[in-house]
Amino acid sequence: TKGFSMDLSSHGLERPIGYYNAAVQELIVIDDLLSAMVGIEGRYISIRRVRGKEDHISFQVDASMDLAIQELAKRMFPLCESYLLIDQFVESRSQFKNGLVNHAFAAALKALLVDYQAMVAQLEHQFRLGRLSIQGLWFYCQPMMGSMQALSIVIQKASANNFTGSSVLNLLQSQAKAMAGDNAVRSLLEKMTQCASNAYLSILERWVYEGVIDDPYGEFFIAENKSLQKESLTQDYDAKYWRQRYSLKEGIPSFLANIAGTILTTGKYLNVMRECGHNVQVPASENYKLTIFGSNHHYLECIKAAYDFASGELLNLIKEKYDLMGKLRSIKHYLLLDQGDFLVHFMDIARDELTKKFDEISVEKLQSLLDLALRTTAAAVDPCHEDLTCCVERSSLLKRLSTLKDLEVRTVSDGNALAEPLNITGLETFSLSYKVEWPLSIVISRKALAKYQLIFRFLFRCKHVDRQLCGAWQVHQGVRALNMRGTAISRSSLICRSMLKFINSLLHYLTFEVLEPNWHVMHNRLQTAKSIDEVIQYHDLFLDKCLRECLLLLPELLKKVERLQSLCLQYAAATQWLISSSISIPKLEEHSKSSRPSRMLTMTTENASVTDSILKFEREFNAELQSLGPILSNSSQAEPYLTHLAQWILGDGHDQ
Amino acid sequence: KEENEVSEEVLVRDVLYVCQGIDGQYVKFDENVDGYVLSDSIKVPRGTRVMVRKLCELGWLFRKVKGYISESMDRFPAEDVGTVGQAFCAALQDELSDYYKLLAVLEAQAMNPIPLVSKSTSSSNYLSLRRLSVWFAEPTVKMRLMAVLVDKCRVLRGGAMAGAIHLHAQHGDPLVHEFMRSLLQHVCSPLFEMVRSWVLEGELEDIFAEFFVVGQPVKAESLWREGYRLHAGMLPSFISQPLAQRILRTGKSINFLRVCCDDRGWADTATEAAAAAGTTTRRGSLGYGETDALETLVVEAAKRIDKHLLDVIYTRYKFKEHCLAIKRYLLLGQGDFVQYLMDIVGQELSEPANTISSFQLAGLLESAIRSSNAQYDDPDILDRLRVKMLPHGTGDRGWDVFSLEYDARVPLDTVFTESVMARYLRIFNFLWKLRRVEHALIGAWKTMKPNCITSHSFTKLQDAVKLQLLSTLRQCQVLWNQMNHFVTNLQYYIMFEVLEVSWSNFSNEMEVAKDLDDLLAAHDKYLHSIVEKSLLGERSQSLYKSLFVLFDLILHFRSHADRLCEGIYELQARTRASSLSSQDKTKSRRHTRDNPSEPGSWFSDGRKALEQRAGEFLQNMGRELEEISKEYTVLLEGFLSQLPVQQHVDLKFLFFRLDFTEFYSRFRPGT
Repeated sequence: TKGFSMDLSSHGLERPIGYYNAAVQELIVIDDLLSAMVGIEGRYISIRRVRGKEDHISFQVDASMDLAIQELAKRMFPLCESYLLIDQFVESRSQFKNGLVNHAFAAALKALLVDYQAMVAQLEHQFRLGRLSIQGLWFYCQPMMGSMQALSIVIQKASANNFTGSSVLNLLQSQAKAMAGDNAVRSLLEKMTQCASNAYLSILERWVYEGVIDDPYGEFFIAENKSLQKESLTQDYDAKYWRQRYSLKEGIPSFLANIAGTILTTGKYLNVMRECGHNVQVPASENYKLTIFGSNHHYLECIKAAYDFASGELLNLIKEKYDLMGKLRSIKHYLLLDQGDFLVHFMDIARDELTKKFDEISVEKLQSLLDLALRTTAAAVDPCHEDLTCCVERSSLLKRLSTLKDLEVRTVSDGNALAEPLNITGLETFSLSYKVEWPLSIVISRKALAKYQLIFRFLFRCKHVDRQLCGAWQVHQGVRALNMRGTAISRSSLICRSMLKFINSLLHYLTFEVLEPNWHVMHNRLQTAKSIDEVIQYHDLFLDKCLRECLLLLPELLKKVERLQSLCLQYAAATQWLISSSISIPKLEEHSKSSRPSRMLTMTTENASVTDSILKFEREFNAELQSLGPILSNSSQAEPYLTHLAQWILGDGHDQ
Repeated sequence: KEENEVSEEVLVRDVLYVCQGIDGQYVKFDENVDGYVLSDSIKVPRGTRVMVRKLCELGWLFRKVKGYISESMDRFPAEDVGTVGQAFCAALQDELSDYYKLLAVLEAQAMNPIPLVSKSTSSSNYLSLRRLSVWFAEPTVKMRLMAVLVDKCRVLRGGAMAGAIHLHAQHGDPLVHEFMRSLLQHVCSPLFEMVRSWVLEGELEDIFAEFFVVGQPVKAESLWREGYRLHAGMLPSFISQPLAQRILRTGKSINFLRVCCDDRGWADTATEAAAAAGTTTRRGSLGYGETDALETLVVEAAKRIDKHLLDVIYTRYKFKEHCLAIKRYLLLGQGDFVQYLMDIVGQELSEPANTISSFQLAGLLESAIRSSNAQYDDPDILDRLRVKMLPHGTGDRGWDVFSLEYDARVPLDTVFTESVMARYLRIFNFLWKLRRVEHALIGAWKTMKPNCITSHSFTKLQDAVKLQLLSTLRQCQVLWNQMNHFVTNLQYYIMFEVLEVSWSNFSNEMEVAKDLDDLLAAHDKYLHSIVEKSLLGERSQSLYKSLFVLFDLILHFRSHADRLCEGIYELQARTRASSLSSQDKTKSRRHTRDNPSEPGSWFSDGRKALEQRAGEFLQNMGRELEEISKEYTVLLEGFLSQLPVQQHVDLKFLFFRLDFTEFYSRFRPGT
């Protein structure tokens, strides 16, 4: 475009207008005004611009003009100024870099300006016919006056802040609302809004119907973060893929502000399906086109429909084709020991490996043993059993729990509580893991799996203790025939019973009181879930609830339980020695067929140390168990589920 | 009025001329300012002058566009403007003819005189400068766009030009959008035509190198890999990269079918695909803006053609059977055949490499095939199996240069290229060596086994010698057992954990492969996994080397074991002979007392000497075995210590297998 020069000198020859009489002056001024209305200087009307401030324009008339005419002419100047400003705006905003919304807005303005120019041409015609007086000109311009004024205010704001995209739309809408009193202006601004938003809505359409961001100038309010890969879901504990791959940016158009979240998720769902190689096509209908025309909020319904479609389709895909429930059930089999027969077998064959220190354990060996265990038990019929892997962590359960900050583990008061026991074995650190593929990793993310693993490790530990105690119990059964009434052995048998009761109660609580009902609740909820986000939410809720009710978020309690467990283990380990040292003598004597009194004598003397240690175990165990009582009852104020546990473990309270 | 004052009417006419690129009476093109100007000598009001200048912008733009069109038209036959460039010119020309129509109308209106203020009306159809500016509003926008495009596309051709124009179509103004759309429809039609004929007929109709697929003449075997490629510069931005890949592959598949597979069935398939996509195979059924339609067509065509191609490769060229044959013969999957071959070529291969005739080996191969289950195989497959002698250096034995070869003919040589076959060859050599070592160990066992039994018969030997004999034999047995354990486990690992697992993965992937590229990738993955897991990869080079040293040591052991056994046999034979002869002697002594002492003394002397010699021999052998055993332990430990640090998890698994009882790790210090 060519700017127009400001050289006032070249036509200095002209006579000042005051030279003519008033009638001629009026004709000349009308001609000049007609030029000025399309932004061109006339003979006696000049444009003055302040250098550096492009939007500051003023018109001036020759001072020698008849004063009345001068005043009449000056009334027209705001219109001329508005025209110039708008024209300038249109020229600059039509450039490519300014974005689709600006283009569309400029195009709408341009159409208005052409109308305006046509009006000027009509006025010229009237003028040439000699029918136009300056008063008439003023009258004819009235309808344009207000709208041009309003538009010039809008564009001044827009260009001052260099608005693009949604901010232009917001500005237009807010202006339309602000000028609601003036009906003509408001409808004009609404029309402008509509024109400008068409470009924006076409971007929105592609996102909502196809999941594509087709946004060459960065105007859309959804940003894609390409650096977040979907693979991170299966690797990172803190994977942000699902939450942050697509995110809302600044500058949501106000008419979409309420529904922006829905729009985001709609496209996100469509994208997930695209990533799965699943071709999706939103069913086209006649109401397909998004418009914001009128007040019936047609676009809201369109977006809602698209959202319903996308979420339904995705949910269907994940549930049916990728068999989410099957996977969850399979994870439950293995990680929550729902179908734990393989575990017994595994514990049998992997016992030697597991009792090593964690850095000496060969994971490959464990893996092959696990495979062996899986293939020889009921797990073999599960098609998913190949996905199960095992891993050995580097820290104990308590320590691991304290490193997971987001689990809201209640902080432990004493500092050295987190000191790692030096000789933790594979039994403490062993854990199963599960291969989850995209797109199921959306639901079963690394984080969810980590929670499953925590529960598994706790259960695994309990199972181990249980097995050891059972072994001890068997040893006791072996000597039952000897009828040791009143000896250390019967005492020992008693304590073995109470330990077994403790660990069985704990296991019963964990599995039947916590895991099963919660899983059932989750399962029912998942059946009725409407969208994948709901599924994720229910699943996470389930895991968190299980973690909490499995005492894993109560380190104080957990430590007590650990202490009790280790007591049980110590006892189980000592049983063999206890029994054999108290039995060996009678056995020997049986062989030697010696007389009764001497036998009684040896037994009492040899049994002194045995009885001592048994009594010591009993004392410690009972003390720990007793101290568990107050903690449970204190905590059960806040956590009502603990009363169940207390009831199971402590019984009715009077048999202790 | 003064002389140099002109009426508006004249100016309007001048402007109309200028807008067609013709200098008017007063408004002329000025080279200095690069624009049309009203000469200064004319006296007109300032406003009018400005108005004229603004209106003349259109003329300036027109001049530019027109200049480009005529320039390219002139260039056209001689230089390569390209079909897209021609289409662009034609589209611009179309727009210009609309513009001429408008000018003609305006011209007619300009004939009517402009009414002056004073006079009364004559006609309302007249043209003033202000009216002209209203008329020119829309053409100016279009002309500006065209000028911008002309500027941007002056140096571009083909797909790049279409892409550049497409970039300018991303405009929010509905008018501009519509205009660009119709323009692009013209511009892209040659391009889309190329895509269509490429996808449905496999023809590259691209005289001016404008298409984004480039072909180059290559041999049939590398047609698939190197014959065609994407030209990124010519890829218009409205065709996405994956779509372009798919387009490339579809046409390539057709060409592959035509050239390599000698197949005619693809034409029907293409027609079917076009019908399914809702278009026909005729020309000009696609256009810009119908990227969805294009995608549908390409997807349909790709799906069908790829399926057809795979069908041809699977059924007519028996790809699976050949893969299996390669696995059975080159990867030693056919056990009886390998065993027999090993048995009969062993003798031949011990000779120096330069004395071996490959004809004889071919004969041996033939007899190995005839006498094993391989004889029931497809003759076509057996026909492709050859003996290959590697280039040999001095001192190489036949073992070093012998290998088998499989002749993959067109079109399968697309998969089994020379480099692929070279990798197969490497794997074969490794497996062959492993098999040879195993064979050698079994041979050693065969010679050792009778000794264990007969060693009890050495009752008459001196205790010291007997003890030595037993201990040496035991040493030999223990060492053999160690080696056998190692070799057997390694072989188990290679044959089952590596080959079979990789093969089963490969078969699964073969089932789900959708196109030849998938198939190639699956095959590459198969081969790669074998190479990686069987220690042939880059990262396990040192491991591979130490393994070969171990193999050599085992072969060395075999010769020692053989010597030991031979020695024992000899000793046994001698002792038996001596005891027999001594019995004979006593008998004879009993019967004939004529020459009593002489033979007896010889025999007793001989017996002593024999025992002494046997003692020395056994001592030597024992020492050597001791050395071998030591060296073996060191080497094996070196090998085992390298295993756990390997990155591949299967190699760790191998370690776990070799050391299942933790025998080795118990002796390893520090861990």
